[in-house]
Amino acid sequence: MAETEKRPYILIVDDDPDILEGIVTILESQPYRLATARDGKKCMEMITREIPNLLILDLLMPRMDGWGVIREMRSEPRYAHVPIMVLTTVIEDASRRRYELETGMAMDIQDYVQKPANPVDLLQRVEKLLKIHV
Amino acid sequence: MPARSLTVTAERLRRSEIFSELCDEDLIAIAEFCREQTFQEGEIVLVEGAPAETLYLVERGKLALEKKIQIGRHSTPRNATIGYVEPGKIAGFSTLAMPDEYSTSAMCLEPTRVIAVDGKALRAFLESHPAAGLKVMKILAELVSGRYRNATNTLTYFLSIVSHELRGPLAAIENYLQTMLGGFAGELNPKQKRMIERSILRVVDLRTLIGDVVDLARMRPEQIQADFEWCNPGEIGTESIEDVRLAAAEKGVRMIIEPPPKFEPIVGARRRLRQVFTNLLNNAIKFSPPDSRVFFRAWYEPEAVVFEVEDEGPGIPEEDLPHIFKDFFRASNVEQTPGAGLGLSIAHKIIEAHNGKILVRNLNGETGKAGTRFTVYIPRDLMTPEMCRREWMAMEGDQPKG
Repeated sequence: MAETEKRPYILIVDDDPDILEGIVTILESQPYRLATARDGKKCMEMITREIPNLLILDLLMPRMDGWGVIREMRSEPRYAHVPIMVLTTVIEDASRRRYELETGMAMDIQDYVQKPANPVDLLQRVEKLLKIHV
Repeated sequence: MPARSLTVTAERLRRSEIFSELCDEDLIAIAEFCREQTFQEGEIVLVEGAPAETLYLVERGKLALEKKIQIGRHSTPRNATIGYVEPGKIAGFSTLAMPDEYSTSAMCLEPTRVIAVDGKALRAFLESHPAAGLKVMKILAELVSGRYRNATNTLTYFLSIVSHELRGPLAAIENYLQTMLGGFAGELNPKQKRMIERSILRVVDLRTLIGDVVDLARMRPEQIQADFEWCNPGEIGTESIEDVRLAAAEKGVRMIIEPPPKFEPIVGARRRLRQVFTNLLNNAIKFSPPDSRVFFRAWYEPEAVVFEVEDEGPGIPEEDLPHIFKDFFRASNVEQTPGAGLGLSIAHKIIEAHNGKILVRNLNGETGKAGTRFTVYIPRDLMTPEMCRREWMAMEGDQPKG
């Protein structure tokens, strides 16, 4: 049990179940603990139960979108340190601009990957983020 | 025409938007060269590309404006409905404006009655009656700009929705394929591996095509110019080289980079310029024979920074050269190579928005080999939106105050 708890905990949020299954299949090859959520509201609920070591986050989602999640995470001191990797079909310029327009602040995230992610590249990026932040 | 019937026609002309502000005298004069026509459902009133000789005012019924759409030269052309003309509205704007040929076709959706106005006579009348001419042209300009704005906004909105709807499922498919190819879902035999590799290539082509179609809709000069900023052309070039490195390696194409001694910053749309260079390099690699070279050069001239992409491929058939920057054009010798024929037309639009030039020529043995050379000139005196604003304010300040 204690051994399990030491494994980095990654929360993956995407409204597309196929994307979730693909990402989980890739990340399962490593000693990570994984959980998934299908929208921003569910994501925030799960974070209140356990703070992840890394959040992999889609942007365009129902109920609460990814920009909303980033805004909540960064305005709450308990979650402000959680590294976020955005994984989306939206191009980076456009989503950063939208966040700035909505909040007047720069989007504070640690990595941005445009879908579809290359599996090997994704694993390297995840490992790097966990190394820096855990 | 008897005087009474002229008065009746004049009254009917007044009900159409284009002549609504003219006085009785002008309307009666115009009525002289009008005739009534009726069309049945399915009949064609005017044909796209034909000389615009008649302006049609719809009195009853409904016309559909249609545009011919042909993807590639060999596919069957299709008609897309881009708008409707109902009573009071007009069809055949081009009768009064360049290029003097109809820009769409118009087909009757139901039995339709129109007043057909002779374009030549109407133009002559408006020229000799400038006050009436001005009123008509003012309304025409509003109508045209309204129709254009509406069409462009709808198209851009529609394409951005469609693109997201299409990209989502494609991303999921590609993600699964990549996961399988990476062996994360179990071992693959060589045949399965090859099929999945081919599937990924096809999906990537489709994703690029969707991106290109959306770009084409967004590619208005003012949208590109809004992104103008100071940037280092050397960095943009390096990013483009990075974009195509894999494709070059897979094909065994050697990239020969010849930069200037030092890169000076220029004003431009950074992401768009990267798109141009990546596209030119990708094309060069795509059409290169294995183990050949692609050259990527840059240098400064007093007025412009110049980029050149040269390959050792088969060249572009001479008869195709004048067309290669057109939307959906594909050269006649590239049947075997995937692509939609949008890359060069997008590159052309981007460079035009920079007031630059993009030129192409076949080397025809100039260097002892075949090959194609694309040369891009980007002016060095472009201004960011902020610089334009400041210059404009300074000019305003110079105006004598009254």
